[in-house]
Amino acid sequence: MSAAVSLRGISKLFDDVTAVDNVDLDIADGEFFALLGPSGCGKTTTLRMIAGLELPSAGSLQIFGEEVGSLPPNKRPVNTVFQNYALFPHMSVADNVAFGLRMRKVPKSEISTRVQEAISLVRMSGMEGRRPNQLSGGQQQRVALARALVNRPKVLLLDEPLAALDLKLRQEMQFELKQLQREVGITFVFVTHDQEEALALSDRIGVMNDGRLLQVGTPEEMYDAPVDRFVADFIGRSNFLKGTLESPDVVCLTNGQRINVPAVDAVTVGDEVQVSLRPERVMICDVDTAPDGVARLSGIVDSETFLGNSVVYRVTLDWMTIEVETDHRPDLERHHSGDRVDLWWRDDAVAVVKP
Amino acid sequence: MSRKPIHRLPAWALRTNGAVVLLFLYAPIILLVIFSFSASRIPGQWGGFTAEWYATLFDDSRLQRTIAVSVRVALVSTLLATVLGTMSALALERFKFRGRRVFDALLYLPIIIPDVTMAVMMLMFFSQSFSLLESLFGIGLSKGFATIVVSHVAFNIAFVSVVVRARIAGMDATLEQAASDLYASRWQAFRFVTLPLIAPGVLGGALLAVTLSLDDVVVTQFVAGPGSTTLPVYVFSLIRKGVTPTINAVSVIMLVASLILVAGSVGLQRANASRGRQQLRTSGGNS
Repeated sequence: MSAAVSLRGISKLFDDVTAVDNVDLDIADGEFFALLGPSGCGKTTTLRMIAGLELPSAGSLQIFGEEVGSLPPNKRPVNTVFQNYALFPHMSVADNVAFGLRMRKVPKSEISTRVQEAISLVRMSGMEGRRPNQLSGGQQQRVALARALVNRPKVLLLDEPLAALDLKLRQEMQFELKQLQREVGITFVFVTHDQEEALALSDRIGVMNDGRLLQVGTPEEMYDAPVDRFVADFIGRSNFLKGTLESPDVVCLTNGQRINVPAVDAVTVGDEVQVSLRPERVMICDVDTAPDGVARLSGIVDSETFLGNSVVYRVTLDWMTIEVETDHRPDLERHHSGDRVDLWWRDDAVAVVKP
Repeated sequence: MSRKPIHRLPAWALRTNGAVVLLFLYAPIILLVIFSFSASRIPGQWGGFTAEWYATLFDDSRLQRTIAVSVRVALVSTLLATVLGTMSALALERFKFRGRRVFDALLYLPIIIPDVTMAVMMLMFFSQSFSLLESLFGIGLSKGFATIVVSHVAFNIAFVSVVVRARIAGMDATLEQAASDLYASRWQAFRFVTLPLIAPGVLGGALLAVTLSLDDVVVTQFVAGPGSTTLPVYVFSLIRKGVTPTINAVSVIMLVASLILVAGSVGLQRANASRGRQQLRTSGGNS
């Protein structure tokens, strides 16, 4: 089966600035895919190239096996939900939704049934006659979805679709979006700078930075086994321990200590690496009470921050500071500033990343 | 927070100021209307009420011809200038091309340069190009209706383009991208999305062009030929022969015509106002 969207060596230059740099990516049919990255990382440009709103400077772009790299947007089997929705202000909700079908000269009777279907799919029945300015942000968002989905695109592109909504509505729409995607079974490609949104919604995530696609994987893979320091830092929080890869599963830290790590093949032995250690995966205990056979470091508690359900300690070693997050439970011992403590973790709690 | 005025003018001073401004603006117009009904042959003197000047005006076939020429020139030149001006506004706002900045600057020239310069330029252009055509192809052309239309188009493009550009600048460009994403061709996107949204600007530009065209004396006088005199040029020539009360009557008719135009445009704007406000809000907000 060919991929829904397939990018090979896609680059985009604006004048002399490289916005997207040699991206290879396959998005499977029926997948909910998130392109995640900070603003200016090239994720929106990548989406716009799939939509046809920008033409790639180099590379090949296929949609279901058909080369579309140089086709204008109106010739591509994709539809877009724009960040500000871009609803036509001079048209009613029904006319907005019908626009794509009218442009494709679909018979009138079919248009009205499909428009009704799409409007009820996004639960906007009864609002057909309203103008976009008479709708709330969440309603405009739904109309934008209906306007795109009514065309039965092979791929639906969403550019930060939830960014303009307030927090509560955003969480509600996240849920609806996920449900909608399951219902219609269309491939969704979704651009966001919000890592929580990406983790919650998508089947797979691609993290971009500086125009490059750094890593693609399921939300769990991205969180548990980041291959790049940027990815580990952008998705969740992490401590980074500097060292050198001595063998595929041993890292020598800068303090001379050797630790076991999950085997990596993305880094060559002998290279400088960093070990990503999530704050909630580090255990904290009194000196010399760590279990045997685990990696451990000792240090002094520098500060403690109480967050309600958890406590965050900053522990100073003689060569770096490590952040530790523990649950706040009556059965767990609290440590205080100035206490000497040991930190330990299981070998599979860490990930080796490129610095 | 409003600032408290330091020097506060007394209310009577403000009222007097307002009255003087209104008097200054409207007294000449009122006088003109009154004296167009004066029976005296000397234009500035009251000699009892008469509608005689209006009657002579309607008998004057030459005057009627000039009105017909004026209206035809205004309609044709406005149509051309509105199409070309809207096109250039779109080009400047929506596309990047070589020489865009130069084109942008040059487009404003007709607004800045004096009428007389424009008139001499057009005259030179026509006489040079006519003699060139004559010598190359043996086509003999002379000044007349077409040269007036071309000259009016030449200065009206600039005005239409300025008005339309302001409207396009206030319009969200992603709306056009959304249209093309929804399978609209370039033309369909313009026809169904861009044009309805910039229509108030295009209409405003067109009304401005009509007014400027009906109004123009200087340029028209230079490029008009025999038998193609417009109303303002004719009125101007009447003045040189000595002012007669007929001029007052003609002026009143022109005044009424422009009032009707203005009222029409205000009415259209009112009808569009609620829609226009909605459009600006939706395209401006949410981002």
